[in-house]
Amino acid sequence: MAPVTSPILHASPQQRRRTRAALTWADLLETIGLAWSSLVSNRLRSALTMLGVIIGIGAVITMVTIGRGAQSQTEQQLKSLGSNLIFVQSGVAATNSPASQGAGSATTLVWDDAKAIAHAASSVAHVAPVLNLRSQVVLGELNTSTMVVGTTPEYQPVRDFLPLTGRFFNQAELDRADRVALLGQTVVDSLGLTPSSALERTIRIRGEAFTVIGTLEFKGVNSFRDQDDQVLVPLTTMASRIVGVNAISGISLDSISVSATRSSEMEAAQYQITNLLRLRHKTMFPRQDDFVIRNQADLVSASNSVANIFTSLLGGSAAISLIVGGIGIMNIMLVSVSERTREIGIRRAIGARSSDILRQFLIEAVVLSLFGGVLGTGLGVVASLIINAIFGWRAGVAVDAVVLSLGFALAIGVFFGAYPANKAAHLDPIAALRSD
Amino acid sequence: MIQLVGINKTYAMGEMLLPILRDIDLTIIRGEYTAIMGASGSGKSSLMNIIGCLERPSSGKYYFDARDITTLNDNQLTDIRNFRIGFVFQQFNLLSRLTAIENVMLPMVYAGYSRLERRQRAEAVLVQVGLGDRLVNRPNQLSGGQQQRVAIARALVNQPDVLLADEPTGALDSHTGAAVMDQLNELHDRGLTIVLVTHDAQVAGRAERIVSLHDGRIVAP
Repeated sequence: MAPVTSPILHASPQQRRRTRAALTWADLLETIGLAWSSLVSNRLRSALTMLGVIIGIGAVITMVTIGRGAQSQTEQQLKSLGSNLIFVQSGVAATNSPASQGAGSATTLVWDDAKAIAHAASSVAHVAPVLNLRSQVVLGELNTSTMVVGTTPEYQPVRDFLPLTGRFFNQAELDRADRVALLGQTVVDSLGLTPSSALERTIRIRGEAFTVIGTLEFKGVNSFRDQDDQVLVPLTTMASRIVGVNAISGISLDSISVSATRSSEMEAAQYQITNLLRLRHKTMFPRQDDFVIRNQADLVSASNSVANIFTSLLGGSAAISLIVGGIGIMNIMLVSVSERTREIGIRRAIGARSSDILRQFLIEAVVLSLFGGVLGTGLGVVASLIINAIFGWRAGVAVDAVVLSLGFALAIGVFFGAYPANKAAHLDPIAALRSD
Repeated sequence: MIQLVGINKTYAMGEMLLPILRDIDLTIIRGEYTAIMGASGSGKSSLMNIIGCLERPSSGKYYFDARDITTLNDNQLTDIRNFRIGFVFQQFNLLSRLTAIENVMLPMVYAGYSRLERRQRAEAVLVQVGLGDRLVNRPNQLSGGQQQRVAIARALVNQPDVLLADEPTGALDSHTGAAVMDQLNELHDRGLTIVLVTHDAQVAGRAERIVSLHDGRIVAP
């Protein structure tokens, strides 16, 4: 047989192709462009389908940003408590019952414990004994319920509290049990005062008159309580005028705040305090300690683990919405495959391999989810920035969440696009051609 | 070029086996213009699908260019459809979202031609079927005759060995249909092998050779 020539087609039949060329990047780009134009031709449907992914991705990024912001906020607040801080809390009351009564269930610490720690523990810089009492504070017609804290001048270096106006009470005032007080800013506000007008005013606590000698700098709310909602008075005054002294054991305390000399000495300080208190309280093993020691790092890690759970919960629920978005994509791709059955038949008849069809629909699903992912990222970043601005967080946008979400969007496109694309690829060409 | 030996095709209809084609022996040589004629239900469409490598016979041998295609896998069959066979359908089967030139470029996309080559060749073929001024029209902006000419251009663009036309005039009025038939005659004159499937004796009469099909068997004309 003589080789056929088709002069209508081409002057050089030797250029006629007999085998398939390899798939190039340009082909892939073209397929992506085709997928794009097919999505654009169904604008509303594509947009509604993407909405699931947009909301999902946006939610993941926003939620993770919120979780992180809250976390770094808490960390900052914990730092504001003071540095190298160790808390010794009056602890578990010694009982015969196996049930623990929990920290603070008995005031087992006394001022002498604090003095002993200051005297004997070499890694300790400052020691501030603390005795708390919730009480009304009265100024003329106004009154407010606040935390009255009896302590010593050491409280200032330990807890890093500086007076905003006026001054802290001194050792002489402590020794004399003078009736002087420092007001936190929340108390200042509640009593209708300003930091400067509060000075030299006389307030009443449980009927006793106290002279305001200073106001405390603003600290803000931490996860435990409002650090500005307190009144500081000398521990001696507190004991003699407000709560009364236990004559046998001296002034009992709720807690002792201790600062270590350096952050590297934290562990040593904790060890020294523990041993000292065990000796003083005669709680050597096997007797249970009647005090609890915590340091700042413990508090930070405790709050971090809470924040991590919080972040995972938020992120997890957002991820569920992302999966719902993926199911939406699968749904619409299935609709698209059945609508375009004839097109698939035509393409198969004129030379599309089933892998070509698979690629076409898979890329369409991926373009859909990835574009939704990009829009969702935009939404999430904007929402994150707004939330950061509202709460004054400096945590910024969760960049890893952005990267992860986009990867997830891609994976969702592939995962939820695979079934419809596979279905399209394995349609029988004849049956597909005959369909309407 | 095409040799069918003892081809049978049976469809399962529930429990029953429905024979569509029985013992078909048919040889078509290169450059021949053959019409397969028969009433509806005679099995001509199945024969066409088997020749076009869209369907496999239930039994028998099919040699395309001396190569037994019943042993080929799906991808190899697809490539034969892409490189060696051009299809023209009754309902044109153009993609309505694409323009005329994009439709013609489609087989070349799967053959892996470059974008530029595709555009140049598709344009040349469309010019040759007389649609040089309709390149960017979509099928719904073209008349039936014009759409069928786009389909012919698409069938020719990969320079096939065989053109398969399934009732190419079925959806056209007689005047336009005649013009399409003239086009096929012209292609045949230039050396193209053509297999035409029709129920219309007048259309079949344009071919060099008529194969009549009745109840799945080839009968004497």
